[in-house]
Amino acid sequence: MSVQREAERQAVLLAGLFAAAPPAALPGWAERGERLARGLGAYRANGSAIAERALAAACPTLAALMGEDEVAALARALWRTDPPRRGDLAQWGESLPAFIAAQRDLDPWPYLADCARLDFAIRRSEAAADADTDRTSLGRLAELPPESLRLRLRPDVELLASRWPIASLHAAQQPGAAPDALERADAAVTLRLGESVVVARAGWRAAVTAVAPPVFAWMQALAAGRTLADALAAAGADFDLPGWLLQALQHGWLGKAEPINDPLGGEPS
Amino acid sequence: MKARPPGVRAAQVGIGLRQPHYAEWAERRPALGFVEVHSENFFADGGAALAVLHGVRATHEVSLHGVGLALGSAAGLDSWHLDRLARLVDRIDPVRVSDHACFARGPVAPPGRDGEPLHAADLLPIAFTPGSLDILCANVGRVQERLGRSILVENLSAYLSVDAADAMAEPEFLATLARRSGCRLLLDLNNLVVNAINAQRDGRSIQAPVAAACGFVDALPPGVVGEFHLAGHADDGVLAIDDHGSRVPASVWAVYRHALARFGDVPTLIEWDTDLPPLDVLLAEADQAVVCRPGGRPPAEAAA
Repeated sequence: MSVQREAERQAVLLAGLFAAAPPAALPGWAERGERLARGLGAYRANGSAIAERALAAACPTLAALMGEDEVAALARALWRTDPPRRGDLAQWGESLPAFIAAQRDLDPWPYLADCARLDFAIRRSEAAADADTDRTSLGRLAELPPESLRLRLRPDVELLASRWPIASLHAAQQPGAAPDALERADAAVTLRLGESVVVARAGWRAAVTAVAPPVFAWMQALAAGRTLADALAAAGADFDLPGWLLQALQHGWLGKAEPINDPLGGEPS
Repeated sequence: MKARPPGVRAAQVGIGLRQPHYAEWAERRPALGFVEVHSENFFADGGAALAVLHGVRATHEVSLHGVGLALGSAAGLDSWHLDRLARLVDRIDPVRVSDHACFARGPVAPPGRDGEPLHAADLLPIAFTPGSLDILCANVGRVQERLGRSILVENLSAYLSVDAADAMAEPEFLATLARRSGCRLLLDLNNLVVNAINAQRDGRSIQAPVAAACGFVDALPPGVVGEFHLAGHADDGVLAIDDHGSRVPASVWAVYRHALARFGDVPTLIEWDTDLPPLDVLLAEADQAVVCRPGGRPPAEAAA
């Protein structure tokens, strides 16, 4: 009974924190009037500040495109409509792209949602498990038929396709970008030149690489765990496997090659 | 055995290590008794932050201080959070693991899309009632069982309070928690002062803040405190806020000296989270803490 009373008291405060406007009273809590407003205000302000910091850290591309104040406003709004579920703030915010897409006042900038998706893909990549390419396993490419082989991408590889030039928009915001990078990205937006990207760590930071549609289809098939034969079929006739292998080794996209049916009868590790 | 650099601060005094200081830390590796980090910042599967922490652990004891377990939540603990913490404890082998006597989780509007409780990402105050004690003891017990070790639970600064007929005094509440659950306390002395300032201002206490905070210290049983936190706070004259954004004020140093006299050589952390100053400022604060301790000497004298 007394535990239930505490559950209700806690629910009252949480509702007061996430309500659009602070309530005039908090049943079960001692403060009243101005003192309540100050105390509750301190917690509500802290929540807003946490939300702003979390999205500012997660979405640098979006902040560069929209402005920090606009991203802060989005953060405060998202905080109240889709609050965190975890005590680790790195787990919050991935609903932002859908939230942006639903904001009618952002319709003139339809690429922003995908730019936010790219920011979150970069965050996931930089937090992924550390792994190297198992180069020894690549010898299987010459030993096994493509229907008996699977290529695993590294855990930090993220794939994202967009109807907008997200790689160009991202690149234009990076330090050292060419002076006309933003102008060219804007032109690509006008022409609706969609881009597909691979995000993967280069050192500790994630790098964004635009890839052609066959490469993207191929890597999507690999990420889905399909056989080499199936992935080649998905990539189409224009796909250049030797060229891709060189590119993948250069960028560190490859995890390992593994047989689908292990000679000992076990599942590949 | 981990190598530990010699130095005056290698007594049990540490600092909170935050991201803007990572590079300078790696270069200098200052002499400190331990380093404290926020556990949740290292929950990732891999990446740069975790690599930094492994580097820190190679030369220093690490204390994992959580801000997200929400141990006082009636909604219970998040299994995902506990799993991540357990993995981090296995990876780092920390000297201490701690979190707060607060709540943050609860199933309220706006409802979770999946019915999962929300997490307010804050250290929200709990009532000091028998009901709260049952919740806290159950949650602390679950954490300790999962980690296979005792944890420390920290007292809060609170800007709202509960006026319950069955509430007990906070020191009694915390001491009972420790006795029932087997945890120890992380006593944040700045939080004591902040609460005492606000209580005096609200008319809930007639005691001066330092006297009230020392009274709190005296009301705790010997041996129950496993770590002290020292920090600064902001005060606009209306509400004192525990913002960890300035030097430890004279009032907190006074309570620290009193607490050392009562509890002895307890590990002590300089905590600074907002408006982070140069690393040297934190190290100077750590030196100041060393001077306060039994047998503590000023850095210049100790180095001679």
